[in-house]
Amino acid sequence: MARLLDIGLERITNLILDMGHLSEDLVNSALESYEKGTMLRAQIFEGSEKLRFLQIEVTDFATELIARYQPVTKDLRFIQSSMDAAYGFSRFGRYAYDIAEVMEIIGPLQNCDKSEVSLMAKTTKDMINLSVKSLEKLDKNASQKLYMMDDSVDSIFRKYLKKALTQTKKRNYEPRCYVSALLILRYLERISDHACYIGDSVHYVVTGDASPRR
Amino acid sequence: MAIEESLERKETTVESVKYKVSIENVDAWYGTKRAIKDVNLKVKEKTVTAFIGPSGCGKTTLIRCLNRMHEMTPGARADGRIIVDGINIYDKSIDPVIIRRRIGMVFQKPNPFPTMSIFENVAAGLRLNGVNNKTIIREIVEESLKNAALWDEVKNELHNPGMSLSGGQQQRLCIARALAMQPEVLLMDEPTSSLDPIGSSKIEELVRTLKDSVTIIIVTHNMQQAARVSDFTAFMYLGDMIEYGATNQIFMKPEKELTERYISGKFG
Repeated sequence: MARLLDIGLERITNLILDMGHLSEDLVNSALESYEKGTMLRAQIFEGSEKLRFLQIEVTDFATELIARYQPVTKDLRFIQSSMDAAYGFSRFGRYAYDIAEVMEIIGPLQNCDKSEVSLMAKTTKDMINLSVKSLEKLDKNASQKLYMMDDSVDSIFRKYLKKALTQTKKRNYEPRCYVSALLILRYLERISDHACYIGDSVHYVVTGDASPRR
Repeated sequence: MAIEESLERKETTVESVKYKVSIENVDAWYGTKRAIKDVNLKVKEKTVTAFIGPSGCGKTTLIRCLNRMHEMTPGARADGRIIVDGINIYDKSIDPVIIRRRIGMVFQKPNPFPTMSIFENVAAGLRLNGVNNKTIIREIVEESLKNAALWDEVKNELHNPGMSLSGGQQQRLCIARALAMQPEVLLMDEPTSSLDPIGSSKIEELVRTLKDSVTIIIVTHNMQQAARVSDFTAFMYLGDMIEYGATNQIFMKPEKELTERYISGKFG
């Protein structure tokens, strides 16, 4: 016979997976709009707000499950981690909105070199996807992979920051290109950090221990 | 008086005693039925230890072994050693009556002496043990009722019958009665199972307070109660001690799958 708590856990699982997929779509859309020069700020804002409300729903529901059923062990760890993951996904939405807003503020970026952003975007999108899948499959090993990917993301950001600082005196220096790229790289770097935290949460659910990299 | 003298002598070196109670290879039987199977457990001094497990797992039998009440059931016996402050309470030279004086017990249902007043309920044990000085008795009764968090509620009606109190108050009266004997260990067998939530929470608060002076072992069916009040938790199943550890560890990350299944409600 299923426990009443299991019905609640299933609902919270569906909620956070919906959040995961929505946040993944939003970040992809934001990055596509940067590459193609399309303005999607309003749509992405709407999605980001939806994620924020979903995060509140997850927190409220998780609190209700704790109050009603007083879960312990893996059930309690799962509920605690669901709240962390929901926060992570809502941050993905917010950073997607920040990326979309860069173009609104800075203007068209057709002539900018977007290769570094594209490079980091690929890894970050993979990290978001992996974090969602790790939750879906409760894969405790995803945490290690995510941290390795995060190292490469951090490295791209640091290299680009140094590059941007050395380009300012060049004749064809275009501040809009560097400022926009730096901002977006920073948002992607933050997204990858949150993807790692989601991996940590999954590791904690499965093992009861903090991730070894944490 | 051998055990009492020995226990008192030990008190002078109690700082060096790490564990108050050591249960070593204890088996308990009801006729041919083995209710407790080779249980080993060490209880730290001035802590609260909860015994949890499904009905019939042996937790009440084990707690009754700790003050030699188990053997009062016809056909019941226990083997192994239970060491309290370095003394094996099952040693042939030990008088079980003295053990029960030093290891107090509170039962599922409050059981005040029905014909006695509140005052006399607490004083009864003292009188039975030869304390006749009225001033001393009055002081101990007041102190015990205060320690049982009942004094403020009954101080003006000490001569009313014990049975006139509410269920929760009666249970605290029974705790006061046990405390009057100044026990070193207090055994509590589902002390809140017949109480309403307010009465239960008062007992739980009391348990947390009392552990500053007494080692408490509590049997409970309510796992949330075990999680709230205990420092250590022992999970028993079919007479076996399955897992024993810090309550936080047992409720967040038990080592045994059976423990996890039981406390998560996945049994059966």
